[in-house]
Amino acid sequence: MVLLESTNVLLLILVFFPFVSGFAGYLIGRKSKTARDYFAIAATAAEFFMAVGLCFTSGEFFWNWFAGFGLHFEADGFRMVMAVLCSFLWFMTTVQSREYFSTGARNRNRYYMFMQWTLAATMGVFLSSNLYTTFIFFEIMSFASYVMVIQEENPKAIYASNGYLGYAVFGGLATLMGIFMLQVNLGTLEMDQLLDAAANSGASYATLFVAGLLILVGFGSKASMYPLHTWLPETYLAAPAPATALLSGMLSKGGIFGVLVISANVFLHDYNWGMVVLILGILGMLTGGMLGVLSNNLKRTLAYSSMSQIGFILVGVGMQGVLGEHNALAVHGTVLHIVNHSLVKLVLFMCAGVIFMNLGNFDLNKIRGFGRKKPLFAVIFAMGALTVMGVPAWSGYVSKTLLHESIVEYIAMFPTLTGEAVLFKIIEALFTFAGGLTCAYMIKLFIAVFVEKNTDPTLQAKYDAKKKYMNWMTAACLIIPAAVLPVLGIIPGFTMDEIAGVSQSFLHGHDPAHAVAYFSWTNLKGAVASISIGIILYFLIVRMCLIQKNAEGRSVYLNAWPKWLNIEEKVYRPALLQVFPFIGAFAARTVASVVDVTIAGAQRVLFYDRKERFSPPLDPDFATYSQPKKRRMIPNSIAFSLLLFGLGIISALIFIIVWAITRM
Amino acid sequence: MGVLLLIPILFPLLAGIPVFRLRDRKIRRVYVSVVVVVNALLVYGLAFLPDVGVSVWTITENLSITFYMDGMARFFSCLIASVWALVAFYAFEYIQHEGAEERFCGFYTMTLGILIGLSYSGNLMTLYMLYEMMTLITVPLVIHSRTREAIMAGLKYLGYSTFGAGMGLFGFFFLSRYSTGITFTPGGVLDMGLVAGHENTILVVYFLMMLGFGCKAGMLPLHAWLPTAHPVAPAPASAVLSGIITKGGVLAIIRVSYYIVGPDFLRGTWVQYTLLILAIATVFMGSMLAYKEKLLKKRMAYSTVSQVSYVLFGLFLFTPEGLMGALLQVVFHAVAKNILFLSVGSIIFMTHKTYAHELRGIGKQMPIVMWCFTLSSLSLVGIPPTSGFFSKWFLATGAITPEFGALGYVGAAVLLVSALLTAGYLLPLVRDAFFPGEGFDYSKLEKKEPRPWMTVPLIIMTVFVVGLGMFPNGLTAAIDSISSAIL
Repeated sequence: MVLLESTNVLLLILVFFPFVSGFAGYLIGRKSKTARDYFAIAATAAEFFMAVGLCFTSGEFFWNWFAGFGLHFEADGFRMVMAVLCSFLWFMTTVQSREYFSTGARNRNRYYMFMQWTLAATMGVFLSSNLYTTFIFFEIMSFASYVMVIQEENPKAIYASNGYLGYAVFGGLATLMGIFMLQVNLGTLEMDQLLDAAANSGASYATLFVAGLLILVGFGSKASMYPLHTWLPETYLAAPAPATALLSGMLSKGGIFGVLVISANVFLHDYNWGMVVLILGILGMLTGGMLGVLSNNLKRTLAYSSMSQIGFILVGVGMQGVLGEHNALAVHGTVLHIVNHSLVKLVLFMCAGVIFMNLGNFDLNKIRGFGRKKPLFAVIFAMGALTVMGVPAWSGYVSKTLLHESIVEYIAMFPTLTGEAVLFKIIEALFTFAGGLTCAYMIKLFIAVFVEKNTDPTLQAKYDAKKKYMNWMTAACLIIPAAVLPVLGIIPGFTMDEIAGVSQSFLHGHDPAHAVAYFSWTNLKGAVASISIGIILYFLIVRMCLIQKNAEGRSVYLNAWPKWLNIEEKVYRPALLQVFPFIGAFAARTVASVVDVTIAGAQRVLFYDRKERFSPPLDPDFATYSQPKKRRMIPNSIAFSLLLFGLGIISALIFIIVWAITRM
Repeated sequence: MGVLLLIPILFPLLAGIPVFRLRDRKIRRVYVSVVVVVNALLVYGLAFLPDVGVSVWTITENLSITFYMDGMARFFSCLIASVWALVAFYAFEYIQHEGAEERFCGFYTMTLGILIGLSYSGNLMTLYMLYEMMTLITVPLVIHSRTREAIMAGLKYLGYSTFGAGMGLFGFFFLSRYSTGITFTPGGVLDMGLVAGHENTILVVYFLMMLGFGCKAGMLPLHAWLPTAHPVAPAPASAVLSGIITKGGVLAIIRVSYYIVGPDFLRGTWVQYTLLILAIATVFMGSMLAYKEKLLKKRMAYSTVSQVSYVLFGLFLFTPEGLMGALLQVVFHAVAKNILFLSVGSIIFMTHKTYAHELRGIGKQMPIVMWCFTLSSLSLVGIPPTSGFFSKWFLATGAITPEFGALGYVGAAVLLVSALLTAGYLLPLVRDAFFPGEGFDYSKLEKKEPRPWMTVPLIIMTVFVVGLGMFPNGLTAAIDSISSAIL
């Protein structure tokens, strides 16, 4: 059903409406806070319904005279999926924000305005159809979301937001350099022309690869790709929970979107590119998983989980390149994992927000036992947890299975198990192991919050007595996304395959050779392996090593997060803030002062003057100069000597001339 | 028709004289505003004239004082007249706390005439004459406070500028020997018959001229006057010095490169590469020193050193993209730097804070000023959709071409590193201003927003700095027509 074609104004409205409504909300907020809250909810709801409406349209929108080269939006399968998802997440988090901030936090007007502006920019990224447009909105997104990160303005938030801004600027500029190189070498930034341009241009593969890597730095850092993830834990921890849900659920996907554009166009079916992304994905998946297990903070674990899941997505992106033509499984797995991760992180971070709203803390030792006797809350959290763990019948299982199958498929392409096949066997094992890590930290969180009792009985009694821990609006916006997850997971053929089907053309994918039997034993095996590993890891590491008795004899979760591994603190910040400015400023000062020093030196020489010696006064009336102060300094200076010397030469010359004339 | 060109030159020059005796603040304000606004309207009107010229005084066949209206003249005169008029309103208010208002306003008005003359000048001799006059007439603006520091800075400004102009004059003597005339002609006036065999002499002479005129534009190695002289001047004066007067050097460089020597002669020579390297080095050096600078106005001055060299980098590429980027950067930097200096001036005017670390919470006290500051900072860094992004797009894509090889890539990379540093020296100010932090005592805050005389010019310029980034098509079309005439 196509209602609008070719010039689809709805695309423009979707992108610019939140800019307007954000500003309007700010003005309303100066009069009434309640009105502003409801206005924001209404605006995001309108945005959501418009995004749904977009699914019944198609076509593109050009705005030729905007920003010189024009904006170009397009409505196709994947973009529609992302637009609906994006507006849905914003809708839900805006609803939750009302209760989350109800304790009278400062600067809420600012928060709401920038939240909507970020929505507008994120929409712009997802609907964009050329990299120029993508980049413009990507930068707006980075800067607008900065305000959400620094919202609390405590020292931690300021520290975290500095890192966030640093990555935003640095990554943005790296990407810009890459985009410059693409523009010059390929002559176009239109996404549907990049593929042909890359194939037919005379540009060398090395140049394009460097350009691709530069672009990957910017988009990858927003997606918290290893090793550009260091901003993530601090930022997610410092930002308000609804904002964190957006950062993790949607903004990271803005980065992924850019990575996909490059991978599926400039480097379509490119083995080397695939390997780079694959390896970075694996590193992120494992690092995030391990740090997630080690942390004893609910939100920090969820943050690392986000990094780990982004690693899974990047594995899918990498496998698309490695598999070449036959990458249908990887394409479907990537798209579906993006969708799943957005919904899961929405649920989980909003749950974290509910806990913070009540307790003001994320420390597992403090919040332990909060979820007991709260069945609704436990079920909601469990939906998220089971999905991210990849338990069959929840949607995460479907996408993980597809990703896993894509690796298996590649191994099957080798006749013998040697060389590369072994490498990919190892990758498959690591993939399963990373799935196990996911299970381990999710089990840890669930047991800590919902099963165990707090070590402080009075606190536990207080938690148990707490029956009104969220209002109906927050509950509604937790239940809806949580309910979607098992629905997607139980009937994947009708839901998830459809989503993947409409999205695949964006990645130049095609339908798999045969439908995947998700609930066959071969596929269930992988999930069973991951979950078993997870349970084993939970008992071996968490129960045996990470829970210990403290001085008072209570068992506590240890923070085993290794401080010395903090590469941002140990490498990035010193390099960028100390080493580089030191060397740079040294060089700059040297160059800058060449002329000044020459002039000063010349002045010193020409106007050299013996300084009067000044003896400090012993009492105020008797300051003395050892030499009486001269009226003029000229007779003492070299300049004066030079003058006399010059006069001497002139007189000598006159004498010679006169002498010569008289001799003639 | 050509005689009309003299009106916007002579009108402010003559109208400025009585200002020195206008003691009444209100009358002076009305009088000067009428002069600058009428002059701006005149300049806009004259921009619609066809290409006409007028010779005021012919000394010899070749030497004459001539004004000529062409694309470049239209471009620079409109820019100068607009910014001058906007800053004037701010200046009335600001200069009240500096004293000697008549003198400031008088010189301010007269400088406008000289600058319009500079942009209208039709040959090298006229350009040189007005260039020197521009230096002389702006010295009183620099030494306005008459402190020892200001006078020393004024002397340094005078010394560097006249030395630089002297190098230009030296080149003028040489070039007139090898050329068919000194009238600005697209593509240059070199007589290739005479030049044959002396190419290197011409290149050396051209190089020295560029160093000399580059002095005003703050290019290495003669940039040092700029961070000394700009900060000591009153804020509106530093704003126009940084935003507009530096563009006088740019204009001289354009005229000599594109209209006297000719880009075809220079393309691919060692001079071009040396100048590109100098521009790149200046871009980096300026940003780096700005990043390390604590004093606000000095930080902005170093920022000017860096940003104007973006323009020079684009000019020395001698390609349509480079010229496009350079001229866009001329406009965007002129506007953005004026906003920055004027906002810093407002902070000094209202709170007497002069250091970067003192701005905590200032965004809550003067939100309008700091919003203008923020947006123009983003433009200077080059964040889309503000205008700075757009000019840097042309500069960088113009540089990354096979023609310039590795140098082009290095240039583009340095532009981006400089953008990173620009973010480093501007955005922390914004952060401190708007996000004072948890323990900040909000009860002590009082509204310190300056009067509309100061905020309205800021707002108008901010609208331009953002609006031109979003809708630059009119401007790019204008520049396209200029560059198609000379390249």
